[in-house]
Amino acid sequence: MLNELLIEIFSEEIPAKLQKKALQDAGILMKKLLNEYGMVFDIVKAYISPRRIAIRIDNLQQQTRDLHEEKRGPKIGANQNAIAGFLRSNNKQENELIERDGYYFLQITTCGIDVKSLFADLISNFIEQFPWPKTMHWYLPAKKELSAFWIRPIRSILCTYNDEIINVYIKSVDINTSNITYGHRFLSNHPIKVKDFEDYQTKLEENYVMLDYEKKVKFIDTEMAKITSKIGVAIQLDDDLLHENAGLVEWPFFHIGSIDERFMHLPKEVLSTSMKVCQKYFTLVYQDSSIAPFFGAVLNVPINQTIADGLNRVLTARLSDAEFFFKEDTDISLDAFAQRLSNLVFHEKLGTVAQKVDRMLSLAETKEENRAISLCKADLLTQMVGEFPELQGIVGAIYAKHQDEDKKVYDAIRDHYMPCNANDKLPLTETAARVSFFDKLDTLVGFIGIGILPTGSKDPFALRRSAFSTIKLICSNFNVLGNETLRYYIQTLVNSYIEQGIVIKHDATEEIIGFIIERFKVFACEKLLISYECVDAAVKTYQNKEIDLQEIIKNAKILEKLSKFPEYETIKQACKRVNGLLQSAPDYDILDIHSINTQQMNDVRDFLLNMSNNATIEEYFKQIAILSNLVLDACEKTMIMDKDVNLRNANLSILSAFINIIETRLGII
Amino acid sequence: MQTFYKNSKIVLIAVFDTRLKSFQDIIFDLQKFWAEFGCVIMQPYDTEVGAGTSHYATTLKALGDDYWNVAFVQPCRRPKDGRYAENPNRTQYYYQFQVILKPAPFDPQNLYLQSIERAGFDIGAHDLRFVEDDWENPSLGAAGIGWEIWCDGMEITQFTYFQQVGGMTCTVPPVEITYGLERITTFIQNINNHFDINWNGREDDKKLTYGDILKRFEREFSSYNFDYADVDKLLQHFDDYEDECKRLISYNLIMPAYEQCVKANHCFNLLDARGVISVTERAGYIARVRALAKECCHAWCNTQ
Repeated sequence: MLNELLIEIFSEEIPAKLQKKALQDAGILMKKLLNEYGMVFDIVKAYISPRRIAIRIDNLQQQTRDLHEEKRGPKIGANQNAIAGFLRSNNKQENELIERDGYYFLQITTCGIDVKSLFADLISNFIEQFPWPKTMHWYLPAKKELSAFWIRPIRSILCTYNDEIINVYIKSVDINTSNITYGHRFLSNHPIKVKDFEDYQTKLEENYVMLDYEKKVKFIDTEMAKITSKIGVAIQLDDDLLHENAGLVEWPFFHIGSIDERFMHLPKEVLSTSMKVCQKYFTLVYQDSSIAPFFGAVLNVPINQTIADGLNRVLTARLSDAEFFFKEDTDISLDAFAQRLSNLVFHEKLGTVAQKVDRMLSLAETKEENRAISLCKADLLTQMVGEFPELQGIVGAIYAKHQDEDKKVYDAIRDHYMPCNANDKLPLTETAARVSFFDKLDTLVGFIGIGILPTGSKDPFALRRSAFSTIKLICSNFNVLGNETLRYYIQTLVNSYIEQGIVIKHDATEEIIGFIIERFKVFACEKLLISYECVDAAVKTYQNKEIDLQEIIKNAKILEKLSKFPEYETIKQACKRVNGLLQSAPDYDILDIHSINTQQMNDVRDFLLNMSNNATIEEYFKQIAILSNLVLDACEKTMIMDKDVNLRNANLSILSAFINIIETRLGII
Repeated sequence: MQTFYKNSKIVLIAVFDTRLKSFQDIIFDLQKFWAEFGCVIMQPYDTEVGAGTSHYATTLKALGDDYWNVAFVQPCRRPKDGRYAENPNRTQYYYQFQVILKPAPFDPQNLYLQSIERAGFDIGAHDLRFVEDDWENPSLGAAGIGWEIWCDGMEITQFTYFQQVGGMTCTVPPVEITYGLERITTFIQNINNHFDINWNGREDDKKLTYGDILKRFEREFSSYNFDYADVDKLLQHFDDYEDECKRLISYNLIMPAYEQCVKANHCFNLLDARGVISVTERAGYIARVRALAKECCHAWCNTQ
């Protein structure tokens, strides 16, 4: 294809879970590099399969862009030698000098160069700058040194441009590029020579490599749906599992196997988690979403009897283990597991999980809350959670139900990790919401109390996420705070920590509230789509009041609506004007505000004195809009910085009272 | 066709290859394959280890820049995995075939596939996959990047490019290939139960299975691990091994010191199986063993 560049980095198997992200990163990185080199191109498209990342660049011009830049030389009036040197080094004549801002300048144009001369560099930089989350290097036997970093060893690199084979040497991995690639590891595995992208994709398909990742994902999804509908079942939706399976095969083949009847008594979550985590099998469900005694597997080669037997056998072994854990665990009561939590460290400075549970209990009000809290962490010590950590909470709930706990209790145990981030679902019940709230708040209080706060991208204890979850719970329809304030819960937890002899800052409460509020602003902005300015303003109106996140959201939304009114501009204008005056003013004392000398200032004062103290934010807005007009008028007609100290002080006092009103009632400055 | 009749040797090989591969044949074949590649064929470490990684031929020899290609069978002890010989494929004692290639050669994945083919594994009949698994051995301070190799959904091999051993970066990263011998054999012999593995390849009354040889061992050791191992003595042994290890390091007797470290680790595993180590203590014991391993590895490098 004319002016088409194709690059393929062929490596050992790329982890399946990383492929979706790598696909995006590859396109972004390549575009960035091409632009840096001044290359001119139409589109960049990236492809990924287990053993390769490929990139196609359409219509890449053979020359890079001409580069125009302006170079600054000596000062005007500098000695002649300096000027001559500047001209000589840039190969220019005196009449090309431009004089500006007291300096000489030259227009330098660098002509575009042949793109082919940049390919080696381009590929090396692509390898070097690729943002893999974890990398390795390997030994280059011929060079007797270590390679550049990549996700797994690179075994060959293909490069063609404009129907031409590009042979360049990539030093950091000791590979000469060629037009050779390889197909499916087992269904092909002979070298394949390619001409251009179209040829590349076609030949790979012939050799059982589906290059288009998204197409492969879709193919698995629709094929699975087709096969399963034939037996009256459907796959349980699981996007991660779908993508992981796509990343594990070059070309998907399918198999539906059956689960031995003797395991069907195991809880649904245990069955589906065993299948998903250990085997990457899909759970199949009936229309009423009850679990069907089948599993769906995606394979890298066509199914045969040997493979089918193997898949069944390995699942039987896995489920036998799960059954063994279930039996062993349910022989012991959850209460007994809960007692052992005093052996499980929460954090070396924050005591054990048993202590965490005790602190959470200090917040509980109802019988169900008490019971749920006492049992909610017990499953951490069960064998089942040891095997499947992602089932924490769920296993606890199953076992609680098994030992005939109240529904409210086991629902709360199941859901008390939710929401685990700002996008996760809320728990289903209020008890669960409250237990979850206590749990997360306890974590925040503890870590912030010992001075561990997230810095930059480092947040090893996921405190930002805990804060988001806490906020989401408080702002939900559940009344997680009951009749108390957020401060009450934080203070109670601080006291519990101290009573347990755990050293945390006595005055941590303010810092914790501050941290939550900062996260709250981001939350309101990103999740509720309220402008940062309005959220910030609404928060400010609570400076002297007990913080109430739900009220703040309400007010922020109102402010956002009001900010579209023309009066908003007037208020801002008045603020700006007054703030300018106050900043330039000398120190002043608040004195007799009655000694003023203009009618306009008098009006402002009277309005201020008559403002109500408990109006709604809309009423305040209306009042302040009127007031702002008065203030603007007063500023026009009054000599604010009067020579008379008393007059000046009175003027300034009134104006600062105006600002104060805006700050406390509307939050905007 | 002509060559077929001309050369009777080929016929013989064909006949030989369709014969059942015994457990011992599979080991012979793997040893032969890797010996031909240039590996020295060593014998197992003669103390209890949880994995071939703990053999000094892996741990200590993975460090440093010298060439080191080795293969050996290593019996492994995982006391907690005992199931009194009642589980068809979980045992507290099993065999690994361990290969270390330092430096890792070009395309070791293919070498691996060739090796199992040589041992009678029919690659075309199965779904083999390299599934991400970044291996870590916290007790040895070792970590690497690689895969589990899956055969029809079952892990049969661990394939790792070492990046770190004893907390130290590998300057010449080796590749470690750890075959689960029993699992691979069940696929080659087409059976479901480890204890049914044909060990000596006989089909007459002299046939010996894995179960014939190891079932009683498995039962008795399961009882020992879970029910009878003397906890107080083990706790004492752990401390003793730890002290001895430190003492020996101070004389620069690194290999004997390392052996004490490995023994301490086995003591810990037994105590763990006895269920007397709490979650909190667990981390502490692992840290103590890791500290010993680290010291050994450091001292080993310093005394090269």
